[in-house]
Amino acid sequence: MAESKSDVLQGTLDLMVLKTLESMGPLHGYGIARRIEQVSDATLSLNQGTIYPALLRLQQRGYIKAEWGTSENNRRAKYYSLSRLGKKQIGAETENWERIAATMSRFLAVSR
Amino acid sequence: MDWVRILISRCAGFFGKGKLDEDLDEELRTHIDFAVEENVRRGMSEQEARTNALREFGGMTQTREQYRIQRGLPILETMLQDIRFGFRQLSKSRGVAATSILTLAFGIGATTSIFSVVKAVLLAPLPYKDPGRIVAVWTTNPARGGEPLPSTPGDFAIWKQRSGVFETLALSYDDEMTLTGKGEPQLLIGYAVSANYLRILGVAPQIGRLYTDQEDKPGGPKVVLLSNHLWRTTFQSDPEIVGKAITLDGSSYTVLGVMPRGFDYPTSVEIWVPAAIAPAAFDDFSHTYVRILGRLRPGISIAEAQKTLNAVEAETAIAHPTTDSGNRVVLVPLREQLNGDIRKPLLILMGAVLLVLLIACANTAGLALVRNTQRQKEIAVRLALGATRQRLLRQFVTESLLLAANGGAAGIALTMAGTRFLLGLFPNDVANLNIPKVTQIPINDGVLLFALAITLLTGFLFGIVPVLNAVRINADATINESERGSTASRHSSFSRSVMVVGEIALALMLLTGAGLLVASFRKVVNSNLGFQPDHVLSLQLFLPPDRYPRSDQTKRIRFVEGVVNRLSALPGVKSAAATNFLPLTGFWGTTTFLLPGEAPPKDGQTPEADNRVITPGYLRTMGIPLIRGRDFSAADRTNALHVAMINQTLAREFFPNKDPVGEKLNLGSAEQPDWWRIVGIVGDVKAFGQDQPTHTDIYRPFAQQPYSLVAFTLRTETEPASMVKSSKEALWSVDPNLPVFRAVPMDLLAKQTLAIPRASSALISAFAGLALLLACIGIYGVMSYAVAQRTREIGVRMALGARRGDVLIMMMVEGARLTLLGITIGLAGALASARLLASLLFEVTAINPLIFSLAAALLIAIAMAAAWLPARNAASIDPMQALRAE
Repeated sequence: MAESKSDVLQGTLDLMVLKTLESMGPLHGYGIARRIEQVSDATLSLNQGTIYPALLRLQQRGYIKAEWGTSENNRRAKYYSLSRLGKKQIGAETENWERIAATMSRFLAVSR
Repeated sequence: MDWVRILISRCAGFFGKGKLDEDLDEELRTHIDFAVEENVRRGMSEQEARTNALREFGGMTQTREQYRIQRGLPILETMLQDIRFGFRQLSKSRGVAATSILTLAFGIGATTSIFSVVKAVLLAPLPYKDPGRIVAVWTTNPARGGEPLPSTPGDFAIWKQRSGVFETLALSYDDEMTLTGKGEPQLLIGYAVSANYLRILGVAPQIGRLYTDQEDKPGGPKVVLLSNHLWRTTFQSDPEIVGKAITLDGSSYTVLGVMPRGFDYPTSVEIWVPAAIAPAAFDDFSHTYVRILGRLRPGISIAEAQKTLNAVEAETAIAHPTTDSGNRVVLVPLREQLNGDIRKPLLILMGAVLLVLLIACANTAGLALVRNTQRQKEIAVRLALGATRQRLLRQFVTESLLLAANGGAAGIALTMAGTRFLLGLFPNDVANLNIPKVTQIPINDGVLLFALAITLLTGFLFGIVPVLNAVRINADATINESERGSTASRHSSFSRSVMVVGEIALALMLLTGAGLLVASFRKVVNSNLGFQPDHVLSLQLFLPPDRYPRSDQTKRIRFVEGVVNRLSALPGVKSAAATNFLPLTGFWGTTTFLLPGEAPPKDGQTPEADNRVITPGYLRTMGIPLIRGRDFSAADRTNALHVAMINQTLAREFFPNKDPVGEKLNLGSAEQPDWWRIVGIVGDVKAFGQDQPTHTDIYRPFAQQPYSLVAFTLRTETEPASMVKSSKEALWSVDPNLPVFRAVPMDLLAKQTLAIPRASSALISAFAGLALLLACIGIYGVMSYAVAQRTREIGVRMALGARRGDVLIMMMVEGARLTLLGITIGLAGALASARLLASLLFEVTAINPLIFSLAAALLIAIAMAAAWLPARNAASIDPMQALRAE
């Protein structure tokens, strides 16, 4: 893949999906993938396909729900939305991620 | 709780695969369609838009694969895959698979069967309170044959007071009683036990109560406890039985309670009554009749207790030298007491059957090795294609477990069929065998768990070696090796050799063990009982003291002679007679004796002989030979000269240099002699079974020494069992109120005495046969494989000038080398284990050169025969074809 793009860090994709669903409301897989690409401004090397195992993982944990619906152009698609548990989880994950990011940047600042 | 939700959803994924696959496909299709639409909107051509969409998506297949792994249970899925693949592999080599499964089935089946008996007999929980601390206490004395025997009340009292190792020490003695007024009169095996005896066992009656220490006194109330069996049969489970009166030996006894089902100590007892020992009896150091049960203090081991008790007994012997010198006290744990004679044979059979199982493992491992080596190329290819060794390992373990599981299932089926046969080990009506009552051998959870455990263990044992071997394969080397095709790889041929050597060694151990037991059994069967048991019927009974008191000897004599006359007159009866202790029944008693002019030895070792009382026709009826002198006659009556006969053993031991006929024996004491003149010598009778030592016997006429225990014997012209009814009627025509305790043909008793040696020698022979067969299959398989493996090599050799004879010899030498190595190791093992068998052997030495060499020769012959076929095949290889092959 393109060398200038960074690979998605394990676990970050889950938070991106949750955040996307929080801001956009129910969305199908393609919509989520496109939204993540747009937000990350194409700096992220993301095979759109990898979104699906992530969606399954989140479903298994009960953070998101899925149901078949119809798109604006009348296509049958599976729509994902946040569950109550998922909404709570965003807070925890965000906090967790910020802590890691802060630690990382402090660490980088020191070693530089 | 996350993992629960994940697991549930994964399980759902695992089972609802088809539907979910469709779902995913539709979702992914929609995704691409969205992307194509958007690309087209941006101005791409339809074709371009689709290509772009697919590229953006990344690998469609990888996504699906990833999704599936995330969704289902990948471990389970690969396992199912392995199992399916394993089945395919096994059905490809059906012969090998069937042989393996059959081998394992026999190994696991035989082991589980024997274990089910061990569990039912040796491991069954005892229904008593804290049974580990309960011991039976016996006295042994070299003068009395060194067997554990009952003790004297005097010793009992001293041990109880002074030893300090027992929490409770209780006594009992056997007390047969006749029940009347309840259908046919019955002789009941009874036990007079002190009140604390039953408290030691900690068993409460199912209805009613036990008697108290106050009730257990001389002159106390006449009370009785019934066994569950007696209550159910004779008293039809009468719920109101407690408080009712029953008639025992003519006296009225009040029923206090009914003991629970399964309470069977001592074995076969039907009634328990208070021992009611008079205090004066505790000064009695000469009558050995009390059977002692004790509960050790917590924290005191049996060894410690035994040491303390023997120290106390040594002091007692100083105070009472004439009675107690030479005594040793033996403590027997309750479980051992209950299992008695069957423990040792069972453990040895268990050992033997485990050897069979090991051979089965080695055999299956050998077969798996052969099969796997045939698959080396497959393995190498799979390794080359990137299969991990771990994955291959799992595949092979699955295959092994598959074989083991099939073998285990078939083995359990065999067990279910086999336990009925094993019940034959426990002849329930043999009085002279000290073995527990076993009426059924359940195949319960424990047994099944054991079968499962050994199945897994065998699967692991025979699975692991070939697997490690297979996985060690180096991909390049193997592919190349089979191209060049020379000799088999060193590693796998080494493991195969180990299997063969091990099998031969184990088979030899079993074979020698079986040989020893069979030789011993043949000796026992062919050894002379000293009497002719065929066509003899016996009727045992007990003269109740209320109607036949010791004081009225005439009544006893009149009764016995009356019955003998009636029996003799029966059509089909050649002769009839009576004795007190019938051989092979386990009933016996002794008398001390002194020779004229000899004082009782100071050390208390007064000689003793079995006390036998017979009527004149007894020797003829039983077929016991009269060696010298004369038999008793009708003239030997109460007021005539007291006469006796002795057996050959007594004659040999006590009259080594003179003719005993005409000599006198003092059967009283030095102070009050009771002289009996020896008139004859009779042949030795093996009264305790062919494999037991002969005792010294003194025979006296019934008319001069009437006894309360009577066994009538009659020699019949026809099948003795058919005479039971008419002989009982003859007996009841003299006294209609006497119960016949047991009516049984003597040859049946003789046969039952041999039940355990017969069953154990038959079983171990079967195991040895099985071992031989398995070893044979193993050697054949491994040798044929070696030949197949070396086909090219042999072809080359022959092309270079080796003759067929050379090839044959080369292959046979390889077989012989392995066989001899196995024989050597096996002989060492057999020598080491023969010692364990020694105590089961009769007139056969455990280290027996003849049997050892016969077993080795047989095994060598069979091993060489098994190697011969493949070797001949090797010799008939056509060099041209062999070289062209592959």
